[in-house]
Amino acid sequence: MDRLDELESQSIYIIREAYYHYKKLAVLWSIGKDSTTLVWLCRKAFFGRIPFPALHIDTGYKFPQMYRFRDEYSKIWGMELYVSRNEEAIAAGMGPERKLDCCTALKTQGLKLAIAKYGFEALLLGIRRDEHGIRAKERYFSPRDEQFKWNYQDQPPELWDQYKNQAEEKTHIRVHPLLHWTEVDIWRYIQREQIPITELYFSKDGMRYRSIGCTTCCNPVESDASTVDEIIEELETTTTSERAGRAQDKENTYTMQKLRALGYM
Amino acid sequence: MILSIDGVPYDLFGQLIDQGDMPNLASLVSQCGLRMMRSVQPTVSCVAWSSYMTGANPGKHGIYGFIDRRPGTFDLMFPNASTRTAEDLWSILSRVDKRVFGMNVPTSYPPRAVNGIMIGGFLAPSLEKVAYPASVGEYLKSIDYQIDSDAALARRDKRAMLGNLNETLDRRMEAMFHFLHMENWDFFHTHIMGSDRINHFLWEKMERNDPEFAPAFFAYYRRIDDYIGRLLDMLPESVPLMIFSDHGFCAIKQEVLLSRYLVESGWTSTADKLQHPLSIDPIKSRAYCLIPGRIFVNLSGREPQGIVPLKKYQETREQLVDDLMTLRDLDGQPVIRKVLKREDIYWPSGCDGVSSLSPEQIATANGTFGRAADLIAVPYDGYDLKLGLGDKVVFKRTELEGMHTYEDACLVARGIDLPDDKLEIIMLARAILEKMQLKPPADMDGSGNAFTPVYKPY
Repeated sequence: MDRLDELESQSIYIIREAYYHYKKLAVLWSIGKDSTTLVWLCRKAFFGRIPFPALHIDTGYKFPQMYRFRDEYSKIWGMELYVSRNEEAIAAGMGPERKLDCCTALKTQGLKLAIAKYGFEALLLGIRRDEHGIRAKERYFSPRDEQFKWNYQDQPPELWDQYKNQAEEKTHIRVHPLLHWTEVDIWRYIQREQIPITELYFSKDGMRYRSIGCTTCCNPVESDASTVDEIIEELETTTTSERAGRAQDKENTYTMQKLRALGYM
Repeated sequence: MILSIDGVPYDLFGQLIDQGDMPNLASLVSQCGLRMMRSVQPTVSCVAWSSYMTGANPGKHGIYGFIDRRPGTFDLMFPNASTRTAEDLWSILSRVDKRVFGMNVPTSYPPRAVNGIMIGGFLAPSLEKVAYPASVGEYLKSIDYQIDSDAALARRDKRAMLGNLNETLDRRMEAMFHFLHMENWDFFHTHIMGSDRINHFLWEKMERNDPEFAPAFFAYYRRIDDYIGRLLDMLPESVPLMIFSDHGFCAIKQEVLLSRYLVESGWTSTADKLQHPLSIDPIKSRAYCLIPGRIFVNLSGREPQGIVPLKKYQETREQLVDDLMTLRDLDGQPVIRKVLKREDIYWPSGCDGVSSLSPEQIATANGTFGRAADLIAVPYDGYDLKLGLGDKVVFKRTELEGMHTYEDACLVARGIDLPDDKLEIIMLARAILEKMQLKPPADMDGSGNAFTPVYKPY
């Protein structure tokens, strides 16, 4: 078995475990490359038809290409798609000029509303350990409390592939079938499986998005990679981080406050 | 051994020594002399310290200010150690297995891996992230180390600011002595930032001898001098030592909101929604500016949606220069002393200093040099160039009382050979390496013609 087969079979095993244990399960689909790969794996795990819904948390600020992609492929893949928007916050004018508050209201709160509405016990998420320092500490099955708090100092051990999948009342479990994948694994798998992916990832006028979210908080990186092959080649040599184009919200907010107090903003 | 003290002008050290406020510094100066040193353009700490630590002009190291435009967009980015494009002293020395230490030097965050310890400067967000190796953060936490004094507090409450500055200095010096005793370092640099802060917020009160704050101002420098005394007592005379600042200071007459001026004079058009200093309407703006006094032509093919064609680049710059030179304050006094072109003071490579290039080559230059401002406005002392895109006025006063000056940083050096005249902060890295009998990197500036020729017209 080659590396991609191994990654794939472990992920499918986790997806099936999750489906076996939780009646109310959904896959969180952000339309990015990772969660689209996760959706692809869910389809493979259940022979083409996913027996639980996909949930898209829509902030209203996503790229138009993402909405088009979502609507097109949810139909082609016969998915049950739930879209959750925090209409109240959007109506109240919440927007990216208040970065941290905006993410909290439109993403975190949007997800809370969906969990309350549909009563999900568990969610499949496409996060990976190599994305960000804090994500390296994650487990495959990771409990969250009512406030969505994740206590990373008190997590179930996952030794010898034994997963703790029981949660206490008022919590939900986040399941991370892609935790062990790296960015370039994802692209190699996309290449092998010919997984469709939004065009934002491919170079246009010397720029491409390496990580996508809301239009307001993502920036393209300089790149000429316009095919999956070229992206893989680029990733094999790059030294910049995957999320370099993402607004480093907290740190930038801190820097801005500091510079403002000193009269530099 | 280096102790740098941010933003102390030559004359202030002279005054403090004459007043008897800095006896320890005075005794060092009586042996080694106090020298005036030129800074960098634009005169702001992040640029000056980057030029110090790399021995490179900004056209090579790429730090032109505290904020910049993200290439390909009109978004803001915050340059820091990870975006600097020239190697710094700590890295150069680590490569040859020297043991190095750095603490609080501006633009040393995020800390790079070095052969020793690197503690980042004032834009570091937390003790967890401030140091390499990260475990140093645990010690810093244990002594209640403050990465920086609280500038927001300084705006609200000057008395509280003074307490906060003392506390920050004491913790920093405690850490300095702790690490100094830890091992026999080859290169050790600690930076004091509070002097810049007290100068920004109390300079005018000091000058007009405010009964409460002038003595408090001098007391802060006495405190620094006590620490200098302790340091001198424990250092053998044979240890090479430099104490210096990165720029001078003077009182603010007016803060000049240059972005606002460009709007009022028709160069810049603001976006409908003002979010940050680059919220401009690119298709209606021929030029825009960043702090301090960095003016960019909105050039077609370089800026996203740039509207000035390449063949109009030079003409547009000339028009901007003419316009800026006519700027007068409310009393009719001229504000701008000189407007420099990017090629007047920066060069992208080699050690021959500035060279002649065609306007087209200058406008479309790639890489680090290509991100420099097209024009750098140098104000008369007292006119502090700010942003103010969304403000209503061009001139105003705030809680800030002091501003940076270019010509009068200062330095006292013991046991290090420095050029006899025209001393400039960019020359120090080379002198440090030569003192350690190391060959400076081939591309390092600071000798021959590779210094900033800007002082000439003054």
